[in-house]
Parts: sequence; C-alpha cells; structure tokens
Amino acid sequence: MADDMTGGVPVATVARVGVTLTVNGADYRLDLDSRVTLLDALRDRLGMTGTKKGCDQGACGACTVMVDGKRVLSCLTLAAQCEGKDVTTIEGLAADGVLHAMQEAFVRHDAFQCGYCTSGQIMSAVCLLAEGRAGSDDAIRQFMSGNLCRCGAYGNIVAAIREVRDAGGHDA
Amino acid sequence: MTTVEQRTGLVGQGVDRVDGPLKVTGAARYPNDFSYPDLAYAALVRSTVAAGRISRLDTAAALASPGVLAVITHQNAPRLERAPDSGLTAPPPPLQDDRITFHGQYVAVVVADSAEEATAAARRVEAEYEPAEPILDMGDPRAEWITDPWGTDSSRGDLKGALASAEVRFEATYTTAANSNSPMGLFSTVAVWDGDDLTIHDSTQWPSYLRKAIAQVFSLPEGNVRVLCPYVGGAFGAGLRAWPHIMLAALAARTVGRPVKLVLTRPEMFTGVGHRTASEQCVKLGATRDGRLVALAHESTTPLQIEGTQFEPCTAGSASAYACPNVITRDRQVRLNIPWCNFMRAPGEAQGNFALESAMDELAYELGMDPLELRLRNYSEDNPRLELPWSSKSLRECYEVGAERFGWSRRSPEPGSMRDGDSLIGYGVAGVSFFWYQEPCEARATLRKDGTAVVRSAVTDIGTGTYTVMTQLSAECLGLDMAHVTFELGDSDLPAGAAAGGSGLTAAVGSAVQAACRNLVRAFLDTVRDDPTSPLQGCTIDEVSVGGGRIHRIDAPESGEAYADILAAHGIGELSADGSSTPNDPKVAGMAPSGAFAARFVEVRVDPDLGLMQVARVVSVVDAGRILNEKTATSQIMGGTVGGIGMAMLEEIVTDPGTGRVANATFGDYLIPVNADIPDMEVAFVGRPDRFNSVGVKGVGEIGLVGIGAAIANAVHHATGRRVRSLPITIEQLF
Repeated sequence: MADDMTGGVPVATVARVGVTLTVNGADYRLDLDSRVTLLDALRDRLGMTGTKKGCDQGACGACTVMVDGKRVLSCLTLAAQCEGKDVTTIEGLAADGVLHAMQEAFVRHDAFQCGYCTSGQIMSAVCLLAEGRAGSDDAIRQFMSGNLCRCGAYGNIVAAIREVRDAGGHDA
Repeated sequence: MTTVEQRTGLVGQGVDRVDGPLKVTGAARYPNDFSYPDLAYAALVRSTVAAGRISRLDTAAALASPGVLAVITHQNAPRLERAPDSGLTAPPPPLQDDRITFHGQYVAVVVADSAEEATAAARRVEAEYEPAEPILDMGDPRAEWITDPWGTDSSRGDLKGALASAEVRFEATYTTAANSNSPMGLFSTVAVWDGDDLTIHDSTQWPSYLRKAIAQVFSLPEGNVRVLCPYVGGAFGAGLRAWPHIMLAALAARTVGRPVKLVLTRPEMFTGVGHRTASEQCVKLGATRDGRLVALAHESTTPLQIEGTQFEPCTAGSASAYACPNVITRDRQVRLNIPWCNFMRAPGEAQGNFALESAMDELAYELGMDPLELRLRNYSEDNPRLELPWSSKSLRECYEVGAERFGWSRRSPEPGSMRDGDSLIGYGVAGVSFFWYQEPCEARATLRKDGTAVVRSAVTDIGTGTYTVMTQLSAECLGLDMAHVTFELGDSDLPAGAAAGGSGLTAAVGSAVQAACRNLVRAFLDTVRDDPTSPLQGCTIDEVSVGGGRIHRIDAPESGEAYADILAAHGIGELSADGSSTPNDPKVAGMAPSGAFAARFVEVRVDPDLGLMQVARVVSVVDAGRILNEKTATSQIMGGTVGGIGMAMLEEIVTDPGTGRVANATFGDYLIPVNADIPDMEVAFVGRPDRFNSVGVKGVGEIGLVGIGAAIANAVHHATGRRVRSLPITIEQLF
C-alpha cells in the first residue's frame, strides 16, 4: 500500500483485490476494495440483499450465511477470504421456487415479525440441524442465541426448528 | 349491508402472514436493500462533546480521501427549514449552526463512491470544540424543569386528607433505566432526486408524515416527495419522527447530484433515533384495612433532551387504573444534554405500570392480602377519571382466566416459601392497561375486471401484521377469498395513512378500509341502479350482502351478481372507492375509549447460591377487543413480553457521567434478550369487540410489554423476600 499526496495531506491509497466468489453455486469474479466484507460484497456488489446488516460488529447474527457448510457471520468475514469457498445465502435455500422445510416452518409458526433477522435465523437454524445441536428445546435456545430478534419471535423460532427436526430434518 | 363474517370466519383466523414467503426467502426489500445506478454512500461524523460549540472543523483530509465526493458541515450546508410538528416537535434540521446539545450530534456528513470510502474519510474529519459543562443529572440545579408537559396531570378528591386518615399507608420510590429501541434493521435512507422530485426509501413508521416533513425541510411542494417503506426492519417507535439523518441523506444526494444511501451504524442507532427515557417515580397509597384504596398519588420525573418535546406520560394510566376517590397524578420532565427521547414500545406505561403495580404488590403484603385479591377489590368498572363507562373492559376476566391457567392458587403467600430443588420460586402478577389512541386515516379499495381487489393506504407494517390483517378484513368486507385481495402500503403516494404508533393503527386503517369497501359496494350498486338485467337493480346498501366474489340480496341470496360480471356488463375496467376514518369523540359516544387490558402472571426461579435469576414461564391474558388474526396477535403479545423481559432484567443505556457519551452503544454491551433468555409463554385473549371503533379492535402492539417489569419484580420479591424497586433487576441487586 503506497501513500500518495493530495493537497498536501497524506492519504492511504486503497488496495484492490481480485476474488472469485462462489455463491449459491454460481461463480462471480469481483475486483474489490480489500476492506469489503462478504456481507457488503453480497449486498452491494452482487445485489443479493436477502442477507441483512444488523450491527456490522458480529453481535446480532442477521448476516449469517453458510460458508463451506458452516454458519458464518458475513459482516466479520472479508470477501477476499472467501476465494475458493462455497457460500450459500438465503437466496440459495429454496430450490426451484420450492421453499426449504425450514422456510416453510418459519411461515407456519410465525417465527418472525418484521422479518429483518429472519434470513440469518433460518441460515443458522439449517446449520444447527446439520450440526446435530437441536436435540432439545434448551439446546435450540442456547445454540440459536447468536441470532437476535428484537420483535421477540424466539418462542416461534424454537417451535419451527423443533418441527423440522422432528420431521427428519432437512439436509441443507 | 352485512358481511359474511359469520359464514367464512375469515377475520380472526390465525392465517399465515401474506408477506411470509417474501420474508423467509430474503425477497422482502427493506430501505437499505434498494440500489440505484451511480449510487453514492454517506457516512456521518458525530460530536464528541455533549454541550458547547464547534470551534474548528477541518475537512481537507476527508475531502482528499479516495472516492470522496463531498463533505457537508454547518460551514457549507444550505439553510434547511424546520419540519412541521406531528403533535411532537420535529428534531431541528442538522448542520445549521455550531451549537452542540448532546454527545453524538451530527457535525458532518461525508459522501463517497463506496461505503468503505465514506466511512474511512469520515474518520478524517477533524473537529474541535469549545465545550460547556453538560447537564446530565436530573438533580443538576441548572436543569430546566417542565411541569405537566402535556396537560395530562390529574387530581380528584382530597388526596392529602385521605392519605392522612388512611388506616394503611404505603410510599416508595421506583426507578427505571433508559432503554434503546434497537430494532434489528439499521435505520437507513436512500435518497434519489429527479429535478425537484425527491424519492426516499426510509425506515419510517409514518410515511404520510415523513413526506410532509421532508417537503417542508427542503421547501418543496408535498407532492414532489415520495416516501417508500414496503418493509421496515422493526422500529418500536423509533420510526415516528423525521430524524436529522434522513434530511442529511437527501441533502447529500442533492449536493453530489447522485442517489445516496445512508445506513446508520449500530452505535449511531443509540444516539440518532431516540430512546425510552429513564424515570424516577414516587407512589403513595392509602387503604382501608380490608384493602379498599382511599388515596393514590403517582409522581414521575423523566429526562428530556435540550430542545423539543416527548410525550411520555408515566402516571396518566394510574388516574384510571383503580376505583379510588382521591387521586393525584403528576408528570415532570427535566432537560438534559442527552440524545433525543422518543417513543419506545409502550411509552410512559412501561415505566409507570412498573411503579404502580409494584406498589400495589407491596401494599398487598402490608395488608396481608393476596395481591390478586387487592386488585380485584379495587376494580374500576367505569373510567374513574372521565366518569364514563369503558367502551370495553374485561380485565376481571383476564385476572380470572390468567390465575386459573397459571395456577395462582398454588402460591404460598410467604416470600421464600416455594422451592424446587436448589431454586427459589416466586410468583408475581401485574394488572395492565394501555391508553387508547387513534388518528385519522384514509384508504382506497379497487375491484378489477378479473374479480380481484386491491386495497391501499399509506400505512406501514413494521412486523405487526398490517399486510395480513388488512387483507383479511378487506376480503371479508368485499366477500372475496384472501387470495383475491392484495393490500398495498408503505408508499406516501397512497391515501394518507395513520402512523404505526400508539397501538392505534389497526383501528384507524381498519375503519378506513371498512368504509372504503362499503363505499365500493355502493359504487357497484350505483352502477346497476338502472340496469333492468341486474338482480341488484335498485338495491340499497342495507339490502345486500357480499360473498363468493359477488353481491347478493339479503332476502334472496341466490339473486346476485359477481363484481367481475357487473364490470364486464358495463364496460368498466375497474371501480374504486375511498373511505376514511376519524377518531370517535368520547363525549358524543358517551363512553371512555379503552385501550387493551391484560393480566400478566410470571414465575421466576432464583438460585440463591449463585444469584442467577430466570423467568421460568409467563401467562398473559389480554382483552384487546376483536382479534383480527389470532396468530399474529399472539406473536405481538409474545414479542412485547420479550421486550418486557429485556426492560426488567437486561436493558440499560449507560451514559458516561463525565462526558454524556452513551458508553454501551453496541449489541455486545447493551444487552437485549436472546433466545435462551425466553421461557415458555402462554397467551390467551378474552373479551368482546370494542364499541369505540367500527372494527371493534384495541391495539395489541404495546400491551404485551407492559406489566412484565412489575410482575417479575413482584415474583422476585415472592421468591427471595427482596424488593427491587429499580429496573433492570440485575444480579447485584438480588443478594
């Protein structure tokens, strides 16, 4: 990174990075400011706005996506770190217009109100089942506690996850 | 005209949200999801003192940063007009002078090609201040006091005499902490100018007001401004004002001649979009030995920002809560150098109910009486302040049903007397009312030639379920399947809508929707009035009913005609009608308008060795009049309860006493309930349709939060013998 001089004031120039993101099975070649997070790359560069920014500090879970099958906070992940990794977002969960079992269960159980945390909740919930950590209501509550919901839909979120688990889960 | 309600039972059914599929697929578009070609990004610079003046602002380094398009400060900002009041004063337009009144006030906005560049450059704006000593404590003698800010103070009977002669007296002071609305959706504005036309995507609860406000700020005709908010990521009251950052986004876009997106950071959400004020309250009660209230005094003091108003009546509910002949309620505000105070889910009532219902519990112990019995003994059948019958009140049923479901009779009165293993168990109860509120509202209903309808109003659905319940109501009023009705909202170009606030939207927009649909049926009858081939020829609105996509005669249900057939027969593409609603007048109606009532029953478990406290279960029984959708209404009550648990056990905005800086403005530091904090909750609705509005509803958005604080504090006392008079109740207060 070099310094250039503009108007006598030193200004750090910005490093650019080339990165290929694989999102929901498709490859996207991007030339990015090195500071761009996975979250902002998805939202601002690729127009996939289903993943939400709730704090940009890794504290709310609204930006949860799946990277190589694991739930990840996309606001704390630089896009440049994701070269060669498989990213799945909420847009990639429904197959051919058919809702994922977790999405259906969230609707049926009214597991959201404003809907802003919902993408992150659902991505987290799908991973939770894959992790095998949804054995009891208490376990669901504990392992979903990284996903905040200010509308207070927690009880219905637990009910939705429980239902999908009892129906044999759904392999994400 | 009658509706098919009895036959289809559409309204009331817990149907899934109509916007559910969009929300679970990420397809619902919130304000910050919108993008435009050539979009620029804005970032804010905030003051680092709470009072004083800006003495120097150097923007050269920021201006020279990569990608920067403009840096706007009070030194170069154009003059902006003040937004009109909405009943509350609007915050003053930003960047108009060098004066600072709170820590976190905007002093500059930086616009750049990317969000990263704007954010980086904003850090390079150098600001120096001539600080003044901020007023941060309500005890500061320099602070300005406002008595009876809204004319809601009340007095009846002879309080002093009644207190002096009461057989039993009780007095205590209660405090509640400042809380942050903290919706998950970062408040965002995308501003797009086209000549003198301005389109704004914004996280507002009140597009009709925001349009008027922004038009006035920029001296534009109202029709030049369009506010869009089809989805809002929660707000809980934070979206009821025209905040300065909205004006800054529009100003930035006009300055650089490009669309601009401004997304508040989470820390900025703590200073830029209001908060629930802290409170200090004193309650005095006098009673007879057998538990009849003879005196009730409730006084409250809450902070207020340096300029402008906030409606936060902590004591008003106490004037009508109980049948008591001698009552005084008083509210005061004290101006401090703090960020804007604003509505947060159940303003005033959340704090006031904690004090009153804690005091009632304490009085019950003084009397040796069951706390539930004390409340029933002082039940007010009529509104004791207005001396009018309530438009509906089933609070007694709330108590009775709640006690039964909760198992209140299992409670042993002595504190500390109930245990389960290592845990002390406490039961607590609180009675709840929420004030009535309603605004004027308009709607338009349109039937199209394919037999489908679209009903519109410039209101919002901030997660409350407005899309869904208004679709249900419209379908019922027009006799259509829900699948054939679309409800559109979130656009200020639609008929003027009421705010999603004060738990008053459903009554306001519901009444307008009913009127519009009725007028639409009238318009169809007008169309066939002289049509000899129509079985409805000459029918009046009172002679017909609707159902199955058609209008038919009540006296001969087989005689009718489908909407689509009428349109086709008369060569009409579509037919529309408007409807509006205005709040009823209590004096004319001869009744006191009721908000919702509720009884809250809470069980807490306390580990006396570790000091750990957990809410184990909550039973809420609510009288909210007619329930339009049992599923979404239940969700509202459960969600409010979660907010109440946050207020009771976790939430406190901590202000640094030296600088006035909000010291915990992140989700890592300002704790809101997480999934693991929330127990099993049971919600039941009782009561009858309310008589004050034509839909029969009483709002459910806020009542769910009220009373949880007191019920938890009362349960903590029952479990431990320790009376906590300050929220939030934290571990250090327990032992």
